[in-house]
Amino acid sequence: MDKLMETTLSILAGSKITLEIFAATLAMSLPLGLLAALARLSKIGVISRLTELYIWIMRGSPLMLQLLFVYFALPLVGIKFDPLPSALLAFTLNYAAYFAEIFRAGIQSIERGQYEAAKTLGMTYIQTMRRIILPQMIHRVLPPVSNETINLVKDTSLIYILAMNDLLRVARTIVQRDFDMTAFFIAGVFYLAMTAVLTWMFKKLEAHYGKYDF
Amino acid sequence: MENTISNGELMLEVKNIHKKFADADVLHGISFTVRRGEVLVIIGPSGSGKSTMLRCLNRLEEIDKGSVQVRGEYLAKEVDGSTVYAEGDELRHILGSMGMVFQQFNLFPHMTVLENLLEAPMQVKKMKREEILPVAEELLRKVGLYDKKDSYPARLSGGQQQRVAIARALAMNPAIMLFDEPTSALDPELTGEVLKTMRELAAEHMTMVVVTHEMAFAREVANRVIFMADGNIVEQGTPEELFGAPKEERTKAFLNNML
Repeated sequence: MDKLMETTLSILAGSKITLEIFAATLAMSLPLGLLAALARLSKIGVISRLTELYIWIMRGSPLMLQLLFVYFALPLVGIKFDPLPSALLAFTLNYAAYFAEIFRAGIQSIERGQYEAAKTLGMTYIQTMRRIILPQMIHRVLPPVSNETINLVKDTSLIYILAMNDLLRVARTIVQRDFDMTAFFIAGVFYLAMTAVLTWMFKKLEAHYGKYDF
Repeated sequence: MENTISNGELMLEVKNIHKKFADADVLHGISFTVRRGEVLVIIGPSGSGKSTMLRCLNRLEEIDKGSVQVRGEYLAKEVDGSTVYAEGDELRHILGSMGMVFQQFNLFPHMTVLENLLEAPMQVKKMKREEILPVAEELLRKVGLYDKKDSYPARLSGGQQQRVAIARALAMNPAIMLFDEPTSALDPELTGEVLKTMRELAAEHMTMVVVTHEMAFAREVANRVIFMADGNIVEQGTPEELFGAPKEERTKAFLNNML
């Protein structure tokens, strides 16, 4: 029983870095993703094209490779980060690319009539986006954003490659030390608990933003 | 009534406007004027360019040639063979003098009826909520939907939504109202309430340009009717002239089909 408690506490300590990476990545990649979506939709060709290139690179290569690149390859050109900032940079750029495509699709799904109504009422582009388009977009993109957010919880386990002791790496260390699979089960329960909380939160958000739909 | 209008201020002066889309010529040189308090109704078969023409008046579509003047100010004019649009404050001022009602209502679905009315005055004109609130509530009473002020648009019938859309446009206090087939998306039993609201607006001498298929409305409310076909004005005149004694074969054929 003591051993079970000890294992659980170790894994709990490992969840701290998991949750840090998760929360910081989400907080940075959502706004960056929105900016990238607007840039991708920009009428200025070069901005749109460059954003497309960025999205292609981030979605087209493994997140693991991006982590390794930031940590091991960037120092070769004189840019050196500690493991945590390296992980945050790679995660944020990667997730922002996925969010950008979700937001772009969401923005494009809003009927042209909404823009026209806002325009004939004299609203500027920024007012139209902020007051009319984005509030409706958020409601429509919540399900795919929820998907990505849940993916992010699990993707955080990749940071073991930068020798950070996240939830899964702690569990694996214990399993390899004790030849006892219990730690894996506990780790699984931790991930499920986190995603359960997220699922519940997104349900609440959908209900909040959906109050005008019938 | 006729006389006061024919001497009234020139609200719209459209000269020789042309519009091409990638695949088709839509407008071939349309010219007309609208004076203060006048109700101009534009009729014509589908694809005749009447909606496009209306959308050229407030720059939802840009013209390729010609000029559009709103209360003496140029929205668009030809300079050395190319069309130049007003810019900045001047453009905002011109567009701000026109309100528009769409076939698909285009209410903001995430806002209540009242919020739909408050939005533009507060965001665009920077009015305080307490300044615009009584105006908005009065407009909702006028269109008979005050009791729906806290409902979301999805809860309303099409006719109710369109009346809210009219009130929303009026909340910006426009000098000219443009209606783009305002009853075409409505079930027949709901068109009456929208036409009634428009009739009341006309009775208050609002300057209106209405694209519609409602011939009875055109006949009763219009001061002048334009019949368009294939991107041209085929014939125009008072409702008595156009419906009573159409001159052109094209007009006669269209009216025979409609009535």
